[in-house]
Amino acid sequence: MAAPRGTAIRRTPLERIEYAIIVTTLLAMVVVMLQPILNLLAVSFSDPSQVAGKSGLDIWPSGFSLDVWALLLQHPNVQRGILNSIFITATATFIGVVGTALMAWGLSRPNLPGRRVIFLLVLVTIVFEPGIIPDYFLMKRMGLLDSYWSVILYKAVNAWYLIILVRFFEEIPEELLEAAELDGANPFQIFFQVVLPLAKPALATIALFYLVFHWNEFFRAMIYLNDQTKYPLQVVLRQFVVEGDKLAIVGADNAANNIGVAQINLKALKAGMIIITILPILAIYPLILKFFTKGTMSGALKG
Amino acid sequence: MSSVEQNATAIARVAGNVPRSQRFTNGVRRWWPYYVMLAPGLLFFLIWHYFPIWEAKMAFEQVRIIPPNLWVGLKHFQTLFASPVFYQVLANTLIISTLKILFVFPVPIIVALLLNEVRSGRLRKFVQSAIYLPHFLSWVVIAGIFIAILSPSDGAVNQITGFFGAKPTAFMTDGNSSRWVLVFSEIWRSAGWDSLLYLAAIIGIDQSLYEAAELDGANRWQKVWHVTIPGIVPTIATLFILNMGMFLSADLNQVINFLNDVNRGQIDILDTYVYRIGLRTGEYSLATAAGLFKAVFGMILILSAHFVSKRLTGKGVW
Repeated sequence: MAAPRGTAIRRTPLERIEYAIIVTTLLAMVVVMLQPILNLLAVSFSDPSQVAGKSGLDIWPSGFSLDVWALLLQHPNVQRGILNSIFITATATFIGVVGTALMAWGLSRPNLPGRRVIFLLVLVTIVFEPGIIPDYFLMKRMGLLDSYWSVILYKAVNAWYLIILVRFFEEIPEELLEAAELDGANPFQIFFQVVLPLAKPALATIALFYLVFHWNEFFRAMIYLNDQTKYPLQVVLRQFVVEGDKLAIVGADNAANNIGVAQINLKALKAGMIIITILPILAIYPLILKFFTKGTMSGALKG
Repeated sequence: MSSVEQNATAIARVAGNVPRSQRFTNGVRRWWPYYVMLAPGLLFFLIWHYFPIWEAKMAFEQVRIIPPNLWVGLKHFQTLFASPVFYQVLANTLIISTLKILFVFPVPIIVALLLNEVRSGRLRKFVQSAIYLPHFLSWVVIAGIFIAILSPSDGAVNQITGFFGAKPTAFMTDGNSSRWVLVFSEIWRSAGWDSLLYLAAIIGIDQSLYEAAELDGANRWQKVWHVTIPGIVPTIATLFILNMGMFLSADLNQVINFLNDVNRGQIDILDTYVYRIGLRTGEYSLATAAGLFKAVFGMILILSAHFVSKRLTGKGVW
């Protein structure tokens, strides 16, 4: 990205000091953003006996132990949480991308009769949201409460992402489509064989938007799912870390008999849980940087 | 060209000058594949966004275990407007949104201005990669991180203030600081990422303006003040107005993870109130009424924001 450089070639001492202050401020920001995560990582790998009282400023493990990780990754609640999250995120992302792409393609045809009406229907949903309770009763009426599908299907097509894709499709050169039409391709063939290959970067962007959204989603899962074995990772994490319900991970039996999990410092377990939950985001972060940046700058205002 | 004209020319192009009924059949013949592709998405919108509007009629009903519900008109709204808790959560919502506009909103602008001054592309990329990260973490994770950072016994913040001789504070459960915890966690999450939009605007500024300023002998600050900032004012205005449009929201996903029994008086907002009385205590109709109040005023705010923004900057909410 070529940002304009607002600086002359020759620099006075004052300018050098200014520059040093600017760089220092930004680096301080980097530290503020990353240090807490590094600290949790260090805590999760520390020897559990040395975790109590370990300073929040440390970014290096005290001692070294994989106990926390072994315990968390073998814990049924965590394992189920991971599987639930992967299933919900993958399914919802797939449905979201397919639904959004198909709908955006139709809406991007300038002469489609009824285009304006459909657009208006979509825009109304951005402006007017009747709230949590009507959504909840709709779920109940459809018999989806306590089912994975409640979370997967809930607002499966996002209005903002739809608008981004429509704008992208609108810019596909008309000649290309007309050429395909002359070759005898029907609209479905045009969409799958001409449009989709062209739209790969845009689709990747939308897919990442959905992926991050669904992985991080917790509120709807929290209210629609009752059965703990269906909880995605974020809800398990919330129970344990935010609500402070240590039984969520430690378990009543363990706590009572003080065995296994209960012997490990809670702070270390919480740190490990947080890191596990953000690992997938960290894993796809290079992709996020590549696609999100462009998608956000070209499309809607907020990612 | 209006959409009617567009449609007419489109159909005319396909159908030529033919009778009305045949034009319709030809239109269907041409467009049905597009409607088939549109259908699943449209269906999702109708189900997930329009059925709830129908369900919201519950705000005007007495919910009965055996349907049908009883129509009670504005009774629940009267109860709501007579309840002191409602005014408390409304005030909290407005205060938190105001604090965020005052203290969160300017930060990404400053970050973008700072980033733009960095000459080394590598250094800038590194800083960007690091400060964008928090935007992609869930509020559950961020709350977990803040619980750790703010821990009175060994959290980073109390370690630092302790170094200067301050007594440890339990920020998460201290009513006085809970609103500020929301402000700072929001800055932590979005200061980096939101700067991207301003940076994009800065990149769009005409280079010759900088060259002209340099010829006039402008220094770094004069260039920022006279070229960069005027160049991003439209973006600032658009985002400011957008933020105003969300004034009644104050971010449910954030607040619900920082809310506890101690700080309820300070950070219980409209959405968390609706959630609590609706899904925890089961006062469905009252909760729906409160939700509708927020929805209607939120809609007025967003629409005003959209039209004001469109008027001033040519760019709307969508």
